[in-house]
Amino acid sequence: MNIQTVTVVGANGTMGANVAAIFASFGHARVYMVCRDKEKARKAALRSCKSVKADSIGAHLIPADYGMLPDCVKESDLVFESVAENLELKIEVHAQIGRCLRKDAVACTGSSGLSISRLAECYPEAVRSRFFGVHMFNPPYQLTLCELTASPYSDMALYARLKAYLTDTLFRTVAESKDLPAFLGNRIGFYFMNEALQYAEKYQDNGGIDYIDAILGPFTGRTMPPLVTSDFVGLDVHKAIVDNIYEHTDDYVHGRFVLPEFVKKLIAQKKLGRKTGEGLYKFIRHEGGEKRLLVYDIKQGVYRDQIQYSFPFAIRMKKFLREGDYDDAIRELINNKSQEADICLRFLLRYIVYALYTAEHVGYDLKVADDVMATGFTWCPPFALMEAFTRVCDLGALMKARLKPEIVEAVNIDHIIGEQVKSKYDYRIYFKAK
Amino acid sequence: MSKVYILGGAQTDFERNWTKEGKNMIALLKEAVEDGFKDAGFSLEEMVALNRENRVAAFVGNFIAEQYIDQGHLGAFLTEVSPAFYGVPSARYEAACASGSVALDAAITKIEAGAYDVCIVVGWEIMKSVDSKRSADILGRAAYYEEEGKGADFPFPNLFGRLADATIEKYGLDKQRYLDVLSRIACINYGNAKRNPLAQTRKWFMSVEEATRRGTESNPIVGGLLAKSDCSQVTDGAVVLVLCSEKYLQEKGISGQAVVKGYGHRTAPLLFDKKLAENANSDYVLPWTRQACLDAYRRAGLTVDDIDVFETHDCFTSSEFAALSAFGICEPGRECEAVENGVIAFDGPKPVNPSGGLIGCGHPVGASGARMFLDLYKQVTGQAGGYQIKGARNGMMLNIGGSATTNYVFIVGKA
Repeated sequence: MNIQTVTVVGANGTMGANVAAIFASFGHARVYMVCRDKEKARKAALRSCKSVKADSIGAHLIPADYGMLPDCVKESDLVFESVAENLELKIEVHAQIGRCLRKDAVACTGSSGLSISRLAECYPEAVRSRFFGVHMFNPPYQLTLCELTASPYSDMALYARLKAYLTDTLFRTVAESKDLPAFLGNRIGFYFMNEALQYAEKYQDNGGIDYIDAILGPFTGRTMPPLVTSDFVGLDVHKAIVDNIYEHTDDYVHGRFVLPEFVKKLIAQKKLGRKTGEGLYKFIRHEGGEKRLLVYDIKQGVYRDQIQYSFPFAIRMKKFLREGDYDDAIRELINNKSQEADICLRFLLRYIVYALYTAEHVGYDLKVADDVMATGFTWCPPFALMEAFTRVCDLGALMKARLKPEIVEAVNIDHIIGEQVKSKYDYRIYFKAK
Repeated sequence: MSKVYILGGAQTDFERNWTKEGKNMIALLKEAVEDGFKDAGFSLEEMVALNRENRVAAFVGNFIAEQYIDQGHLGAFLTEVSPAFYGVPSARYEAACASGSVALDAAITKIEAGAYDVCIVVGWEIMKSVDSKRSADILGRAAYYEEEGKGADFPFPNLFGRLADATIEKYGLDKQRYLDVLSRIACINYGNAKRNPLAQTRKWFMSVEEATRRGTESNPIVGGLLAKSDCSQVTDGAVVLVLCSEKYLQEKGISGQAVVKGYGHRTAPLLFDKKLAENANSDYVLPWTRQACLDAYRRAGLTVDDIDVFETHDCFTSSEFAALSAFGICEPGRECEAVENGVIAFDGPKPVNPSGGLIGCGHPVGASGARMFLDLYKQVTGQAGGYQIKGARNGMMLNIGGSATTNYVFIVGKA
């Protein structure tokens, strides 16, 4: 696939600017950055250069505004839409792109979970087959995941060529996903994060948000605790994703996509997370320059200092991990009888089960679950996590003993265990000693 | 004198930052030993059995853990990896960035002499424990610190910037052409690293355009003519190799796949000024580096025509440039043509650094020599995966310490 010229629509958004940089750097393409005005586009181009740490790509980035959109599209081999995650807005933008798209060009949406089929229908029949979902994760320079989705109208030979371009030229880890809400990565990741929010509400007398994050910290196979991640993503974005899944899917964890009341309240107060300065957490800077990260206390409805939890199972796991004793750390997690270790273990087991269940239903190959969680979330991916467990225990028996009967009944544990393959990801990298 | 065979080995993922992971050197060593032994088909139990008869020893290469993590007596730390190391003779070997090679040299010599039948070689460094400025200062101790390092912001970029100046002057090169060739060298290394799943820079972006635009915010000048794109970058990492004697292979009834064919080891004047003064009488900008290569060829009974793949010490693009004629890939002064004509490219006749080299893989200094050796082993046994050079039978490496002060060369071949 020969992509010389690209148009990114909505290039002043974080994803738009970062995706433009990926096309301009690895793809060596000329990129029209279409924004509301050229000044915004110029500023976005500077952010693009920074995102791939290469000022030289600046020469390939061309600021543009919506008035120029038809001309940019006509010139482009590939058009990438990256406007806000709003169906009506996207429908309007794609209708506009569809009017000018060349018959030999490709059009993509960066949507994180809207219907690709619906958006394809914005295109005239002559080019409808040339439209695909290409969902990258933020920041794409660090997270290489790219979910590729076809619509029923798609030209599958072109799909194969686009996949090769994304893999070989843009160095993306391509995960092929069916056209289902939130695709693969977010369906699995936000299941985990939303359940963590529900647990924070349930355990608000134990501390709530910081209590759950202390139980599911980096020592459990991730870079950031799940609720810090949700705060970082933005509670409004989190809500949009789980609402979309809740509304349009109905699997055995359906209830786990219900957003807790306290989060709705925070969103109503425009406390959206890191981007607004407060959300689940709140950064404050004292006059002396000292920074403190406060946490929202669900019970009291106020921000307070974080509690320095020191759960014995977590202390011991971190100590084992510090010296590379992964087997001992997992044994501690399994054998510790505290409430916190139990919560933690069951979260990890449910994650494995749901990740593989989702991969089976939303993907085309179970191994895709590993790609999405490793390269989109930097969480220990399910097959790698299974390997960490099976070194020290009978994982199937552990799941049957520790997961609730309704999960064991809903999914076939023996089938999941039977499908275990060697992961291409190394579980040791994901378990941090902190 | 026994031949020395390579049973196998492994490296850690050089992208990892062990300090960020909250893990210490024991964790690093445990992972490398576990993976290295597994690859070699060797086990802790086997080591214990050999150790009862004093037939196994360990050789640890590390430059300067005293500064990075406040730890010395590094040979003793394998006993913390596993009790199976209790009683196994082990010591630390140091020659700055050639520490991995000096550990290899000691291990090879002990097997040749019949002292041990199996030698475990470990090269490691943890460097992300400090910020980049402090790290550059620590590395200044690979030069004559009082004369060349102390107080300088980035001592080594400056020294290798001087090597660039000296190369241009010695051969009367066009400066722009030389710099463009250095940019291509950087891009070849970055490009090759994309084939290597354990390389530090495998996800990074680099282009000829970016590399040639020196002095920008994203590609600042770091020393003389050299910019960030000309530098390898420090990282954390460990490599474990298992070497053995002919006798051991016979006892086990296994055939060795790779063998050490030759080595060269020369020490040049420490101070860069003295190096330059001395090379006036040579065709080579680094005459002792060239001599180490000649020694290795002589010992192996091979010439450059027999070598299918090279791994060199591209701590900077200017050192890779100088290595090309030292290896004999081209005549001294003709390095530009060799690079421009694709001789050292991945699919060229004399591929250099298919792994990505130091620029692509990252440079955990005490591990780099052992990493090159491991990569040669992988190449000649057909196990290099995405960066395999088809049909490689013999591979050659150059590992240098300081400003090309310690020069180590090994030739590894199919047995």
